[in-house]
Amino acid sequence: MATKGGWAGKVLRVDLSAGRIWTEDTIEKYKDYLGGTGIGYKVIWDEVPAGTKPFDPGNKIIFAVGPLAGTGAPSSGRTAITTLWPTCWPKPLVASGHMGGHFAAELKYAGYDALIIEGKADRPVWLSIADKKVEIRDARGLWGEGIRRATYEINQLMGPEACVATIGQAGENLVPMSVVMNSVSHSAGGAGGIMGSKNLKAVAVRGTGSVRIAGNKEDWEKAIKLHLSILGANNQHVVPNSPQPWAEYYSAGSRWLASKGRRWEKSNPAIETGSCDPHHLNRIAYRTNNAAYFLGEGAWQYTVRGNGCTSCPIRCHTLIKVPAVAAKYGIPEHGQNTCGGLNFGRAFFKTFPDGQRGQTAIEACMVGMHLADDLGIWNNYSQVQRDFIKLYYDGTLKGKLGEKEFKSYSWDKYEKGDPTFLFELLPRIANKEGELGTALGLGTGYHLESWGIPEEEWKKEHSLQYWKMGHPKHHSNEDAGQCGVIINTQYNRDAQCHSHSNFTRNGLPVEVQKRLASEIWGSADAIDAVGAYTPMNRAKAKMSKWSLLRKELHDSLSLCNWMGPWVASPLKERGYRGEDTLESLLYSLATGDKKNRDELDQVAERIFNLHRAITIRDMGTKEMRTRHDTIPPWVSGDAQGRPSLTKGTIHMDKEDITNAMDMYYEEMGWDKATGAPTALTYRKLGLASVGEDLKKKGFVP
Amino acid sequence: MHQQKENREIVQKALKVLGLNQSVTRRSFFKLSGITVVGVSALVSLGAKSGKEMPLIIMDQAEGLVIADSTKCVGCRRCELACTEFNDGKAAPTMARIKVSRNLHFGLKGLYTEPWSKGKWGNGLIIQDFCKQCPHPVPCANACPNDAIVVKPPTNARVVDADKCIGCKMCQRACPWEMMSFDQDENKATKCFLCNGTPKCVEACPAEALQYVAWRDLTDKVPHRVVPTTVIPPEKAAACNECHKK
Amino acid sequence: MKEDKIPDRPSQHQGAADIIREKSKTGQIVSAEELFLTLRGEKGSESEGAEDSVSPEALLNKVMAENKDLREVRTKEGCAFYYSSMFMSETYARLLLCKQEGPIQLVADTVREDSDRYPRPTPLAVFKEPPFDLSKEEILSCLQEMSSRVEYQDISQVSTSIGHVFLYSTRHLDRDYALMLAEWIDVGQFENP
Repeated sequence: MATKGGWAGKVLRVDLSAGRIWTEDTIEKYKDYLGGTGIGYKVIWDEVPAGTKPFDPGNKIIFAVGPLAGTGAPSSGRTAITTLWPTCWPKPLVASGHMGGHFAAELKYAGYDALIIEGKADRPVWLSIADKKVEIRDARGLWGEGIRRATYEINQLMGPEACVATIGQAGENLVPMSVVMNSVSHSAGGAGGIMGSKNLKAVAVRGTGSVRIAGNKEDWEKAIKLHLSILGANNQHVVPNSPQPWAEYYSAGSRWLASKGRRWEKSNPAIETGSCDPHHLNRIAYRTNNAAYFLGEGAWQYTVRGNGCTSCPIRCHTLIKVPAVAAKYGIPEHGQNTCGGLNFGRAFFKTFPDGQRGQTAIEACMVGMHLADDLGIWNNYSQVQRDFIKLYYDGTLKGKLGEKEFKSYSWDKYEKGDPTFLFELLPRIANKEGELGTALGLGTGYHLESWGIPEEEWKKEHSLQYWKMGHPKHHSNEDAGQCGVIINTQYNRDAQCHSHSNFTRNGLPVEVQKRLASEIWGSADAIDAVGAYTPMNRAKAKMSKWSLLRKELHDSLSLCNWMGPWVASPLKERGYRGEDTLESLLYSLATGDKKNRDELDQVAERIFNLHRAITIRDMGTKEMRTRHDTIPPWVSGDAQGRPSLTKGTIHMDKEDITNAMDMYYEEMGWDKATGAPTALTYRKLGLASVGEDLKKKGFVP
Repeated sequence: MHQQKENREIVQKALKVLGLNQSVTRRSFFKLSGITVVGVSALVSLGAKSGKEMPLIIMDQAEGLVIADSTKCVGCRRCELACTEFNDGKAAPTMARIKVSRNLHFGLKGLYTEPWSKGKWGNGLIIQDFCKQCPHPVPCANACPNDAIVVKPPTNARVVDADKCIGCKMCQRACPWEMMSFDQDENKATKCFLCNGTPKCVEACPAEALQYVAWRDLTDKVPHRVVPTTVIPPEKAAACNECHKK
Repeated sequence: MKEDKIPDRPSQHQGAADIIREKSKTGQIVSAEELFLTLRGEKGSESEGAEDSVSPEALLNKVMAENKDLREVRTKEGCAFYYSSMFMSETYARLLLCKQEGPIQLVADTVREDSDRYPRPTPLAVFKEPPFDLSKEEILSCLQEMSSRVEYQDISQVSTSIGHVFLYSTRHLDRDYALMLAEWIDVGQFENP
């Protein structure tokens, strides 16, 4: 009997209440859901009844990866974490977060595709997974420690190669806005408190096994090289940031920053990034520098190198060394992270003495990373910082804190943009100290509720970027018009979908994007130039569906949706085409389960519809259109009153959006009035029993 | 007796590969060619027909070497993945013939001696461990009781002959840099064989941190990872004595 | 770039082709004069008498014909420059060509191309960076001169909320749209990571 490739074959189950550990067969039970969020949603549907709350022992937290995790498929290093989400407001619902680093690969090498944890230990514990040897171990000595010390002490016990995913004080204190973190800088927001509620300090994995490639190894090598050849930089931006000799196009918005004269200055000696011709596959790691992208040219002098997940050549994390911070703030010179994690400290401040891209801002980032990545605090895609700025400067905060607590903060430092302010604020969030510390840790929905602020206030204001259910937008109309709006209605937290925005921001001229769009989604009309939006059409609905399905597919296969899909490339000889069948090519070769693009997309559709089904079940309604797929007013209100769907505004038209949702539901096979999947759709997707279950409850139109 | 016959066969095979089909004593070969044992690049491995067992002692130097620049390593592990996926059809970093994972998080010194300063949790420096393709005396080859580590043209890399490997792991103990790998599924040792001249790790590295260069002796340039267990099978020890005695 | 290969059988005057390729690799285009010098030098070493009467221009044409990756671009005045499509894009070569024509043409052509092709406004700061390499004074003087010349009236300015100037061409973008796009490039994309 041939063993399948890709999958490790076993799902590890731990009941912390009973202290029981057992395994399931991945292929037998979960093959039709691939892995990652697929397994996550399946477990939540099957085993976590409606009405369960996030911190109940009955909630389950599923760390899951897909058949591509642990392989050399580029960007295959993320672990999906699925659970009932503690910041989802007003009612916690299923959602997933993702954690990069080395955990996913190590879990596979240990022999597991997923880890399902339920129950609650009667005292602090940590889970030790060393290949077949799995033990629940005493964590009382670790409880109260930050992420760094906990990691160090566990590695001492398990050896330096083990990958430790641990929570900090924030997770221990059941702060909803908390993370679990591995490999220094790779965190999954929202999961920290869930682990804390189970008295689970950490999960540590050491795997000495392997992941088998079912297909012919020469074919696999060819597929990997194809993938590498069409890679761009971070977010699959396929043109350089500035004119380069080899490049036909360039874009100031591109994260492909490499250029002659830009060097990793704090490497010893400095390393030139140079012109990074896309055919030089040995220089992919030099293309991206997110520290410089976000913090400005001044970050090059601090750049040591790029960093990131197993198997990914992109290195979207940047390791920076800022010597000044050691003496100034008493923190280590080195810091590393990307995007929201990198900006954690900076984002709290409205101004800095030397601007948003000056030295002080960089120092604020260093202090922020030092604190947040040890205390284990989440920022909800920078929503908490936006909330903080708004509530401070409009006077609300002062009113809510009471005089004593308000005076305990150095607001003069805050207003001046002094990074030392973070030392006063962040630990209090992690430790639920005071009204402010506690409120900021709740998540926006519960925070506003506890301060008696109607959610409508947040939904009116574009600059707050708030969308619904306690979470912000994540690449909506500012990136891709109606497609972006549709995507942001679909989840129970911020959408975390980049399929569409990676494409629209790839830097190619709009006429090239349109040409590619007609090949991928059937018509050039799928794509508009940003801010020159045209009315909704069928092709945009197809693109929306494609974007969402591919995100679920990536989250289930273990491919990074911050990088994929790879439908555009930097190669002029390919007409800048990428490869839309890449996922199915890699999947088929790795597992030996041959599926073409449409067949694999259908599996993704199954997974996505299961998420929809759980949401319907747990909301207790099929009225998804009106009660779940909501759109905040700021989306359709232009500040200057410009008419929507004209050049110069990204604001949408209400009627057009209604039409957009209609078309999207039609694409999905969902009932237009309710936005709920029909019985036929459930059956078509192999979810007949799910459909029947919901039908009994009256949740199928 | 059976072992002697096997050893003779090994030597004959080695001789054939190297284009020498006659039996020659080691000493007489050197006299003929006028070369000395130490430090010359065109030595030829051979067995000595002296009426006793003829163990394989590698004399050739390798033609090439993979070297690593740690300041460029970005910790992606694509080298390990390419090495094992493209050669063995499975992703198995534990078995990779270039080794990064063990230094990834906490650096070379690891966790047990002093506060770590390198690796991802330190200053970010990741040291890549690579096979030195040692010159004579080759520790892994000499430790093998079965002469299973041979020289393979055209690169003259030191290569595990899987047919002969019995999985005893003596070679693992012998390497001062702990560069031997072990395939748990096949129960065989394996090591860097330079991928017949186009090393997959070099091709795979996205940061140009690895290079394939002309061989040079780095055995005294890279600190040992461990104090190796130097065990030489008696037949080889006898050959050493014969060759080196004045 | 994989489109064109170096020919297997090298031309007798391969030195010229090599120079063009080497320069292209480092981001430079080569003037005709520079090539003629090389070709005259190579010609001098020729033994065939018939070659002596062939002009460097004709030799260059021969080199171009034999090396499919080599391309020619000409300034408005007709000055010829050469690059290899193996290492340089036409866009980049034309940008360098524009540099030859002077800063005003460089700025105007870039802005018009950006406004038409992508479409997008052009950050003023980009002209300080390679390969534009204009000084602050040159840029300011460009802006001044363009505002007073009829043929550059389409080149206009907007400022983003953080005070950065972007240029755009009214032939392709209207002010409102240019401002929105400038704000998106300069501020919006970073606030929406």
